[in-house]
Amino acid sequence: MPIAVKDLCFSYKQGTPFEKKVLHNISLDIEDGEFVGIIGPTQSGKTTLAQHFNALLLPQSGSVTVNGLITSDPQADLISLRLQVGYVFQNPDYQLFAQTVGEDIAFGPQNQQLRKSEVTERVTTAMKQVGLDFDTFCQRDIYALSGGQKRRTAIAGVLACKPKILILDDVTAGLDPRGREEILAVIRDLHQKQKITIIYISNSMDEAAELAERIIVINRGQKQLDEPVREVFKKPEQLRSIGLEIPEVINVIEKLQERGYVIPSIPLTLEEAIDLLTTAYAQREVKR
Amino acid sequence: MELTKNITLGVYLPGKSFIHRLDPRTKIIASGIIVILLLMIRSYQAYGAVFIFLAAAVIIAGIPPGYAFSGFKPMLPVLTFMWIFQLFLYSSPDAEVIFSWWIFTATDAGFHMGTLITLRVIFLFGITTLLTLTTSMVSLTDGLESLLSPLKAIGLPTQELVMTMVIALRFVLILAEELDKIVKAQMARGVAFDRGNFIQKTKKIFPVFLPLFISAFKRAEELIIAMEARSYTGGKHRTKMKTLHIGRVDLAAILIMLIFSALIIFLILTVNPTI
Repeated sequence: MPIAVKDLCFSYKQGTPFEKKVLHNISLDIEDGEFVGIIGPTQSGKTTLAQHFNALLLPQSGSVTVNGLITSDPQADLISLRLQVGYVFQNPDYQLFAQTVGEDIAFGPQNQQLRKSEVTERVTTAMKQVGLDFDTFCQRDIYALSGGQKRRTAIAGVLACKPKILILDDVTAGLDPRGREEILAVIRDLHQKQKITIIYISNSMDEAAELAERIIVINRGQKQLDEPVREVFKKPEQLRSIGLEIPEVINVIEKLQERGYVIPSIPLTLEEAIDLLTTAYAQREVKR
Repeated sequence: MELTKNITLGVYLPGKSFIHRLDPRTKIIASGIIVILLLMIRSYQAYGAVFIFLAAAVIIAGIPPGYAFSGFKPMLPVLTFMWIFQLFLYSSPDAEVIFSWWIFTATDAGFHMGTLITLRVIFLFGITTLLTLTTSMVSLTDGLESLLSPLKAIGLPTQELVMTMVIALRFVLILAEELDKIVKAQMARGVAFDRGNFIQKTKKIFPVFLPLFISAFKRAEELIIAMEARSYTGGKHRTKMKTLHIGRVDLAAILIMLIFSALIIFLILTVNPTI
């Protein structure tokens, strides 16, 4: 189910003295099964852009088409669209309201008036997908959860609606390294095994480099780059000028290049870098 | 979907106009006088005069008229409800029936009562909005505090009271922003807030209000910590960075207010009340 955005403009508080233009003529396409990272500094408009993908915001000019459905069409069934395009918010506290983990995850399916057995089935599957053990966590109180568990519950709550596209809005913010690794593993799994299209919003280049196939860089409401992940990191200067941090691995490679070493390709993860450098060193290809 | 767009209460619109430059105390007292006048007015003519006065103030303050009015939009259902109630429930012995169906009877007295009360609410809201749009939080606090300071003599903690009031006003917008995010998070899970019968709709409040309450408490707690971390202590030992003083603009404003009040009182006394 592809997303097509054309000349999208959006201002908050339009028509008031506080009007703030957030998106300027953005056009992009997202294909089925892709893993796209939307990266930009804070206040760059990435959340505003993503909220157009499931019609939480409607375009003020330009258009957003999701699987052939034009979101600004007054006849469009936005409720079923929102179930197909899941959105996980940055802060799980905005979403979680029920007493127990199980009840909260069941909320989405219940909104669709599904049969009880179907709801239970979906809760079980969703919990499995995010790695929460059903017997341990189903009856657990929401407020007894750790930060990482809350995020996973929030993701499960959205997965229970069976989305074909999943938007993840800065879901690792404020997590410790372990909680973060767990979430990233869940996301990777969803993309590879469930074939869910993932739109990953973040201001961390490290995560995007590790996960995404394509990266769209947004800055001040404009699309700056839209390229396969390896291409993006060939322009570290441009990324730095926007105020984005470059993955450590790329920094090391850049330093090596500055000293005159020829590096055959750009690695994205630490493992890749180690592999690349050791083989290259063994073959004495690195030296000038 | 943008919930905060139409909220004008508690928002400050920076500017350099005549009204912005007034001492906050002048503005608070002037608003107070207008509120008292509004509660006494019972004729359309006097409301007309208040309207002209407020409209002039909005224009002088440089507030876009469309924006000033947008604050009423969320109140429309409540106002309509109120108007209908007055229309059918209020009557006087010599009233003329203008509409009657089943057990409902509307009289001209009810019509006028409803209209005047609705106008009163609109104007009361309008004057408060005008005050907050043209007065920053800091000067509003200072002004209120200075006006209430005589009450310290009877042991009232005025500084703390004012601080609480101003924070409450500020939280209107903060909570609206939180509400916006929460509503979106639930809409993303397929909640259709506008579908279903009354009971079904009421049930949909829980997924929104529970997170909102929790976040309000959290916010309040964070604010307390932030204030204490900067050694906030209320009470008499606080000093001011900016001291208030009544200037020439204030004298002009006081003169204008006197003339305006006299005019309204004249209208109240001479024009026959509509009801």
